[in-house]
Amino acid sequence: MTNRVFAVDRLGRFVVNQMGYTFRVLAMVYLSLRATILDQAQGFRTIIVVLSAQIYFTGFQALPLISVLALGTGGILFLQGMGNLTLLGGTEIIGNFMVLVLVREAAPLLTALVVIARSGTAVASEIGNMRANREIEALESMGINPLSFIVFPRVVGGIVSVLCLAFYFNFVALIGGFFMTQMIHKMPFGFFADSLLRAFAQEDVVIFFLKNSFGGMIIFVICCYQGLSVKKSPHEVPQVTTDAVVKSIIYVTVFNMLVTAFFYMGRLKELGVI
Amino acid sequence: MKIEKIRFENICFAHEGSDPVLKNVDFDFPEKEVCWIQSEEGQGKSTLLQVLAGLQMPQIGQYLINDANIRDMTFEEFLPYRLKIGYSFDYGGLLSNLSLRDNLLLPLRYHKLLEPQESAKRVDALIERFEFSKNAKERPAHVPGRLRKLTCLVRALVHHPDLLLMDDPSVGLGAETAEIFTQLIQDMRLQGSLSHVMIVSYDEKFMRNLKPRILHLDQGQLYTSVVDGTKSVVNL
Repeated sequence: MTNRVFAVDRLGRFVVNQMGYTFRVLAMVYLSLRATILDQAQGFRTIIVVLSAQIYFTGFQALPLISVLALGTGGILFLQGMGNLTLLGGTEIIGNFMVLVLVREAAPLLTALVVIARSGTAVASEIGNMRANREIEALESMGINPLSFIVFPRVVGGIVSVLCLAFYFNFVALIGGFFMTQMIHKMPFGFFADSLLRAFAQEDVVIFFLKNSFGGMIIFVICCYQGLSVKKSPHEVPQVTTDAVVKSIIYVTVFNMLVTAFFYMGRLKELGVI
Repeated sequence: MKIEKIRFENICFAHEGSDPVLKNVDFDFPEKEVCWIQSEEGQGKSTLLQVLAGLQMPQIGQYLINDANIRDMTFEEFLPYRLKIGYSFDYGGLLSNLSLRDNLLLPLRYHKLLEPQESAKRVDALIERFEFSKNAKERPAHVPGRLRKLTCLVRALVHHPDLLLMDDPSVGLGAETAEIFTQLIQDMRLQGSLSHVMIVSYDEKFMRNLKPRILHLDQGQLYTSVVDGTKSVVNL
């Protein structure tokens, strides 16, 4: 009995802590947006410089890794899909299978994981080191708000990069994956393209933007927040970087799951099940 | 706007989980003087400078600049005052992804305090005065500690502030550079900027050149004269 009480107590504390953390992170989003709007000094050029550097590092430099991952994932899903659908006699719904599994679920999650591993860690450790080296304090002392100078361009750059990377992932996975597997499983491209086009719906575009834009925001906001949470010492930097990775993965996964659940419930409602 | 008067009213400040550094301080800071802040070790001189710079906000009381309470201000409301304050750290503080020259240009460029050519001219003149043109385009990690410290100090006064706050400015500077730096402060004061200068330092020789007025931080209170002569106040 006592053990159960302790378990409930621990769970309650965990939930309260996570809610507090979420609230603080959301407060930082609001404050950085407010700071950017109110910051009269920060010119468009300053934002563009940091933004383009962020897009170059997070988006452009991640293309080789995303290409390999997309080709592999696309190829695997195509072969698995065809293997099972041929047995069931439903090859014409390969498009639906690819859209449901790849475009809606796998692509946002895998793109987010790549971005967390490459750029999220970089951002958290960069800002953490800036904190330890008192660069953040120095910016404040010069009247430069770190939230508008550091956080805002990184978050916007992150959102743009994740959206572009996810689009590229989907394209390479669907088209590249198809062509890569043709030596094993022959299928006319016209048939595949027709099945894909029939499978795409307006809902997929909404899900694509929801999952990838908010996913990008979650990653970079959490990583910036963790970086800024360094107090003084450089030894905190690896700890906050690890925390940034763990928290980003958890929050992105939970968010993706919530979006999927929301649309699933909507579909059930449409069908009159609930 | 010019900073004329600086005043603490019933100011209390403590770091989280530590004893208070400032306890109900009522104090009018001397106007238009170079002040040398002294105390026994660990009394919170650096924290006092950070409070004066607005980097740490007191938990209780009013920090008044020209009778305006800084404590209640947002970042944006405090900005005009911040642009009249120069602050240099005892260590660190340079942006590691910018060159020394860009670090010096940053406050001028960001706030568009001067035309770009004028900013460059002012910064280049300072670089020339301290003779580090050769290293000016290098990043902080690639230059000796002396130049990092010097750049941090020069950046604090590049925008000609009214209030200059410096934490251990002479540490790691070298005798010759320290002399050029004190001369620069005196020159700028003669030209009308750096009206109020507050320095925390253990370097008596460096401070004597500036003919400072001494302020004591003792048990969370500020004094303009020694309260207890038996106390071993550093560098008295």
